[in-house]
Amino acid sequence: MKITPAIIQGEFIGLTAKVAQSMQQSNIGIKGKVVDETRNTFIIMCNHEKKTIAKDVSVFHFRMRDGTVVEINGKLLVGRPEDRVKKRIRRLW
Amino acid sequence: MNETKQTARERINTLFCLAKENIRENPKLAQRYATIARRISMTAKVTLSTEQKHQICKHCKQFILPGVNCKFRTQQRREPHIVVTCLLCGGITRFPLRPRRKNKHDNTKRKT
Repeated sequence: MKITPAIIQGEFIGLTAKVAQSMQQSNIGIKGKVVDETRNTFIIMCNHEKKTIAKDVSVFHFRMRDGTVVEINGKLLVGRPEDRVKKRIRRLW
Repeated sequence: MNETKQTARERINTLFCLAKENIRENPKLAQRYATIARRISMTAKVTLSTEQKHQICKHCKQFILPGVNCKFRTQQRREPHIVVTCLLCGGITRFPLRPRRKNKHDNTKRKT
């Protein structure tokens, strides 16, 4: 899978995610399936427990559908899931 | 093909698959996925495929699946059609079985 800035327009529900960095210390290391998404949060199923994690203060590791692991800063993911389809960012790398 | 429309279509397909998986265990989540899929289709101006259209109730806009929360019946009266009854709102939607003729005044059948 080619990794481009267009990845932030993709779907994150259903992927396995891991919180790599966060301002909230207790959230670091939470790992599980993304169940739901709102404008500012991801809801991750961790050990049969729903954890709500703010996007804009965290960095996530997502395992995409073909197995590649991608690190994404949560600040880029702020926005309602239906609005992110049209979101564009300048090239970062 | 527009790039955003293509990604939108992929997202809609994955969301419908997820909704189908979750409808039996936690239907609330499945409804949530269906609403997100429908919203994506509206913002990106992508039409849902016919199969996906049949999985959303025209009245209450909820995710329906035959055998779980809706029933499919065929009827011959007037014109062969399928009647889909949503068991959540009780609404009825009809889909014609015969494909619509392209030209309304097409008389080729009568001539031959």
